[in-house]
Amino acid sequence: MKLSHLLPAAAVILLGVVGAAPCVAQDAPVITVRKGDQIALAVGTLAGSDGVAVTPILQNDLSIAGWFGLVDAARAGYVVTGTAQGGSLQGTVADRNGGVVLSKTYAGGRAGAHAFADDIVNTLTGKKGIASSRVAFVGTRTGKKEIYLADYDGSNITQLTREGSISVGPNLSPDGRKLSYTGYQSGFADIYVIDIGSGRRVKAVSAPGTNTGGVFSSDGARMAVIISKDGNPELYITGAEGGGARRLTRSRGAEAGGSWSPDGSEIVFASDSGGAPQLYRVSSGGGAPRQISVGMGYATDPSWSPDGTKIAFTTRGSGGFEVAVHDLQSGQTRLLPSGGDAEDPVWGANSRHIIYAKGGALYLLDSINGRNLKVIDGVGRLSEPTWTR
Amino acid sequence: MNARILFPLLLATFLALGISGCSKFKKKDAGAATGDYDFVSGSPLPERSGASFFAANVDRSMFPAVYFGYDSYSVEPGERGKVEQIASFLKGGGKSVIFAGFTDERGSPEYNRTLGERRAQALREELISMGASAADIQTVSFGEEMPADSGGGESAWAKNRRAEIGVIK
Repeated sequence: MKLSHLLPAAAVILLGVVGAAPCVAQDAPVITVRKGDQIALAVGTLAGSDGVAVTPILQNDLSIAGWFGLVDAARAGYVVTGTAQGGSLQGTVADRNGGVVLSKTYAGGRAGAHAFADDIVNTLTGKKGIASSRVAFVGTRTGKKEIYLADYDGSNITQLTREGSISVGPNLSPDGRKLSYTGYQSGFADIYVIDIGSGRRVKAVSAPGTNTGGVFSSDGARMAVIISKDGNPELYITGAEGGGARRLTRSRGAEAGGSWSPDGSEIVFASDSGGAPQLYRVSSGGGAPRQISVGMGYATDPSWSPDGTKIAFTTRGSGGFEVAVHDLQSGQTRLLPSGGDAEDPVWGANSRHIIYAKGGALYLLDSINGRNLKVIDGVGRLSEPTWTR
Repeated sequence: MNARILFPLLLATFLALGISGCSKFKKKDAGAATGDYDFVSGSPLPERSGASFFAANVDRSMFPAVYFGYDSYSVEPGERGKVEQIASFLKGGGKSVIFAGFTDERGSPEYNRTLGERRAQALREELISMGASAADIQTVSFGEEMPADSGGGESAWAKNRRAEIGVIK
């Protein structure tokens, strides 16, 4: 062997390896805040005996929505008026020429204001609103981890479970009628499903080992579940109350955190089968999972947006745990301005807002304009949000 | 070895390395690096026996906890002594144990639940390979719940990344 031939070859190999490294290490850009593109909207104080109480709820919803610039009537493209009294809300939206584009009567109180806000969003943008949505999460107020439910803006917090054990990992069905969670009252991790309306609860999955992460499909008919009975945590699909478990993954690592594509044809999940946890997508009918190249060395807790185009997830970078969004069409990933210690992002119905947990409270983040609001706290340390669509 | 053969060989190696190194991150969802999906499964768990890890009929003090590295479920060489103690106890059968997996507080609770289960099951596979019966070992994961040390920082986290051994009396 001649060394003089070998050296250039070795140098080429080194260059090749070093040259490839920046592909691994590149940082995703932080999003730039974009103003403009907003609809100028005037929301004056509603008339009627409940007008003063209901108006700020409506204004808050429309401000959070992100689609509108709230301005005075003289500069507005659309004017919101209404009357709130006697347990109902009559709401009207007119364009600058006085042409009525929305006129409807709602229930009174907070629910009516939220419903009116969602109708305004839908009428003027064609998008689904998030004002009537609900959020479930884990709270520690009693000294034990229990599941709580609240409006998206943090009002109407109610305690759902009273096990005095460990109740964690809640997942709401998109329509908000069912909630699954992981409960330890048997001494093992089992999945329970609660019918929110009736309060009826069933033990849905209690196979040997650990059962967790019962995530409902868009139609609420199926759950993606992690079951370890075969000797390794694997992703399964079951019916809405357990039963008929069908195994989807066969890996050496730990699978976690499934999220369904809107049409139910695929599930995205995290797996550390290749080393640090990464995201994979698999057909809900079976087949080999494919890695989603998010360009981050660590990715867990995927949430597939209702419009199907994006996946939010938790990543770990120099700033600690942060929320990132991967665009499935462009293949680009960007970090959202969540700051460190952020985890468990979930998309809202509008595929624009994300709720995530940070420092024991829940935050609402607008992925377009970067607005970040603490929305739910006060029942101990909060974690693991799940959001109706 | 002939350098004229070696050079193209090395060049081919470089090309392969260069392509695989970059394409993973540049190609849009190309299905590169699908992980190890040929793995069929570990050893199936036995049916639950009725005992639960924190029940009065489970002795959790007979064996010391087995510790793990960050984000890892490999049974470390330094923990071998502990594992051998458990193996000699289980050898011959007739004993039932529950391995409970735990993690530190970093990372999301759901990921930590499955990581904790993977730790309990890694310890279980180790013991099965040393002659223990699969039917005698159940597993559960508590994830980041019930830390052994509720302080922060690496010294606390290292104590929390563990599998505890409960012997059913």
